[in-house]
Amino acid sequence: MDFKDYYAVLGVSESASPEEIKKAYRKLARKYHPDVSKEENADDKFKDVGEAYEVLKDPEKRTEYDELKKYGARKDGSFERPSGWKGASDFGGGGYTEANPGQFSDFFEEIFGGGRRAGAGFGSGFGGQRHSMRMRGEDVHARLALFLEEALHGCEKQVSFNVKETDANGRVVPRQKTLNVKIPAGMREGQHIRLKGQGAPGVGGADNGDLFIEVEYAPHPLFTVEGQDILVTVPIAPWEAALGASVTVPTVGSKVKVKVPQGTSSGRKLRLKGKGLPGKHPGDQIVILQIAMPERHSEAAEELYRQLADAEKEFNPRTKLNV
Amino acid sequence: MTDKDRILSVELVEPNATFTLREICERGDCHAEFVIKLVSYGVIAPVEESLEERQWLFDLQTLARLRKAQRLQRDLKMNLPGLAMSLELLDEVQEMRREVDRLNQQLRHFLG
Repeated sequence: MDFKDYYAVLGVSESASPEEIKKAYRKLARKYHPDVSKEENADDKFKDVGEAYEVLKDPEKRTEYDELKKYGARKDGSFERPSGWKGASDFGGGGYTEANPGQFSDFFEEIFGGGRRAGAGFGSGFGGQRHSMRMRGEDVHARLALFLEEALHGCEKQVSFNVKETDANGRVVPRQKTLNVKIPAGMREGQHIRLKGQGAPGVGGADNGDLFIEVEYAPHPLFTVEGQDILVTVPIAPWEAALGASVTVPTVGSKVKVKVPQGTSSGRKLRLKGKGLPGKHPGDQIVILQIAMPERHSEAAEELYRQLADAEKEFNPRTKLNV
Repeated sequence: MTDKDRILSVELVEPNATFTLREICERGDCHAEFVIKLVSYGVIAPVEESLEERQWLFDLQTLARLRKAQRLQRDLKMNLPGLAMSLELLDEVQEMRREVDRLNQQLRHFLG
């Protein structure tokens, strides 16, 4: 088992005062709160910070942890409980936390394990008494990123999420649940689907909670969604822009021919009516034309450009810049 | 066939699906007084605020927002005015992050 350096987690020294520890915890809790942070693994970091604070804020637990750090931590970062170790305090009595210790690490369990029994009565209200009452299981809210094609045409997806369960020993433990889900066609960003009874299990014969999944669109290599419209950037050759052309452009799951008007500038938008997101008021597909240059021109092409420059001497593309 | 292999069909939640005050309290594991306070601080809102409390209906987004408010209050020890302001700022941040992501994506497409 790895040793957890709670001081390092909170970024404080071993001699830090309770006030310094509280300040460090508050700052990191705000930084890594899963509802606030965009950082990767914010959820895990938030749990680590909560676990570290849980131990270091309590003088008794801190003393016991400091002793263990002294005698149980090895140089390679691992940890073994010293033989015959008996903690100075009995945390099995519980009632010691407002956090949810069910999600703390094995390291925490090894040292302060007694407190995780449901009978200990956690601050969050879970405890032995749950068994004697009926309580509907918690709903679980999750998000699912779908590609535009998957959302519009339907697909089958694997969804993983955590639910809180009470195990045979009465401990509240998180369990990862994986389901194969059939996503119907025509899903819109922000729309919700429900899987009845797939949330946390109910207690005392009460109903299970539901799983609610909010759909979001994953970044697409070709398309961007803006409201009801689907945007796609289509490169065209300079001569297609100058002379006009009929070009093939991709739509979601298909392709269509569009007419590029003569004298098109880069950034010009063409609207394909009704080719956006379906619905009561279907959106459009917006084709953004972008003039692309070949990496290298032939000598003949360069000569033609020189002739073109000569013929179009009056044209100044930078008139707006007053230069 | 195990539960894991089974393909479950989902139920599409209608955009106008609602929960009563009692239902939202049950699903949010909280007291009605707490929900009423959140409404009075503008943290959440029933579909029609003009109705009496007993007639209030809340949509699914509001239920998700209630859960978020509960987590923030529990984990960061926030009072209600602080909670109201934080949620508004978080909404703005989320909206801006979405906009930045969308514009970056468009830029990537444009630059090839």
